[in-house]
Amino acid sequence: MPQGSIIGAYIAPGLPHLASDIAAVSWDALRRGFHQAGEHIHALQPDVLVLYSTQWISVLGHSFQTHPNPQGLHVDENWYEMGDFPFDLRVDADLGTRAAAIAASLGLATKTVNYHGFPIDTGTLVALRFVNPANQFPVAVVSCNIYAGQEDSLTLGKAVRQAIAESSKRAVVISCTGLSARFFTDEIAPYNDRLSQTEDDAWNRRILGLIEQGRNAEVLAMSGDYARTAAVDMGFKAFAWLMGTLDTPSSPGAVLAYGPVWGTGAAVVEYQL
Amino acid sequence: MADSGQILAGFLAPHPPHLVYGENPVRNEPRSTGGWEMLRWAYEKCRAKIKAWKPDVILVHSPHWMTIVGHHFLRVPHLAGLSVDPIFPHIFRYQYDMNVDVELADACFEETQKEGLVAKKMTNPHFRVDYGTIVSLHMLNPEWDIPILGISANNSPYFYSTEIGQEQMVKLGRATARAIAKTGRRAVLAASNTLSHLHYDREPELIEDMNKEVIFNNSQYQWDMRVLELMRSGHTEQLMAIMPEFMEKAAAEVKSGGLTWMLAAMGFPTTPAQVHGYWTVIGTGNAVVEWDLTHKAA
Repeated sequence: MPQGSIIGAYIAPGLPHLASDIAAVSWDALRRGFHQAGEHIHALQPDVLVLYSTQWISVLGHSFQTHPNPQGLHVDENWYEMGDFPFDLRVDADLGTRAAAIAASLGLATKTVNYHGFPIDTGTLVALRFVNPANQFPVAVVSCNIYAGQEDSLTLGKAVRQAIAESSKRAVVISCTGLSARFFTDEIAPYNDRLSQTEDDAWNRRILGLIEQGRNAEVLAMSGDYARTAAVDMGFKAFAWLMGTLDTPSSPGAVLAYGPVWGTGAAVVEYQL
Repeated sequence: MADSGQILAGFLAPHPPHLVYGENPVRNEPRSTGGWEMLRWAYEKCRAKIKAWKPDVILVHSPHWMTIVGHHFLRVPHLAGLSVDPIFPHIFRYQYDMNVDVELADACFEETQKEGLVAKKMTNPHFRVDYGTIVSLHMLNPEWDIPILGISANNSPYFYSTEIGQEQMVKLGRATARAIAKTGRRAVLAASNTLSHLHYDREPELIEDMNKEVIFNNSQYQWDMRVLELMRSGHTEQLMAIMPEFMEKAAAEVKSGGLTWMLAAMGFPTTPAQVHGYWTVIGTGNAVVEWDLTHKAA
């Protein structure tokens, strides 16, 4: 049996504004970047999409979705006016189960989640709406443990990498995360959206610049400072997870889009592997 | 009825789903052999009092409906569905069915805006009610025969600072009290909060194994007792004064604002509160506490 491999990797935003039909310069640019990513993924014809979402929060270790067919209707708890998210996912339960077992063997607390009615998070559903609109590809989804640091997140990614290798499948991994996460806390007109702090914008651009040069190890080393200074979404541990899946390559990431969503930083980044 | 409403009582009503799981109600799918009786029996005392009062509405402020832009109020007349706890799905898969007091929601919305706060009405009928709201309401009134009003926890205490967050909750409490008064409601308030909140991240094989249920550390136990003593003695001013330190030292969940909102709505009562029960849940400190204002209202 041939060894599985990761054939594409992405950083993707997960706020529901992007799934709405509300026009805004930044949101439109991010949508275009997202659609571009979706087209590339479609061309790759992967066997599975593996997502890590900062909006699926866990506290009892790391959770892995293993229900074969989660169905339902999700509404975001903050922006419920941005539209409903009906979902009918095809989950690669074997991959999730194996990744959980490997992660546990590496010392992480893990849980598999196989329950009818389990809530699927907004980030996962926003990303899938763009990159898997026809529900063509099976998915595996991993939670964001709020207590995990960079080391654990790297280990989690490594477990996913090993599970993919053992599976003989061709996978695309997607790290669904925001960048700087300082939201505007008032109502804003979407067309007036901007980064809530210019310093955050500078940090985001600096990090994305390093990613474009393939200096991913440097980004990992700077992640703590970046997270603290720019209030990055879940401490930017989603990037560590992604690097764990890719074994921290020196491959450059292409920034397909970058801009604000309600004051926060968001980017679509593509690693061609 | 205008301006004749009153707050009958306020409850500190913690929401670990373990309490519902331990009780084995028909609405919750998983079965247990019990557990956490000290808290469940404490809630039973509250249920009896609420039944006797026959309130028009129970309002609950829940940290698991966390909102970024403003303070939100459920504003859909009827909400029903299956709530699967994203953290504890193995013990909480609950069929909820609740009637919402939308007139009171409108009044709260208006009064909150008058306080200079951002307010929103949640009008999406497909909205999934959070498990904090559901657990606290189930434990106070498992028959669900009293209308409710769910209020979100704006994340200002975490986004800005404890001080700014608590200031907002005081304003929200004042607004809630005025809304209750002007709509003529006889209301019960519920702050859906644990006390100390450091917890274990591994569960025993038998979830309800009480042999494994202990406080996370003695320091947070001491903090919980200090706070409860102030409640029991009616020293609300001192309680409010030490709350920021309590939040920091014991990672107390009251930081999310529910207790401050409730005390503010009740006018920071000096009535001694009744502690019906205290116990831990995966190491966190939980107390069911009642402020009975009916003697004031009579």
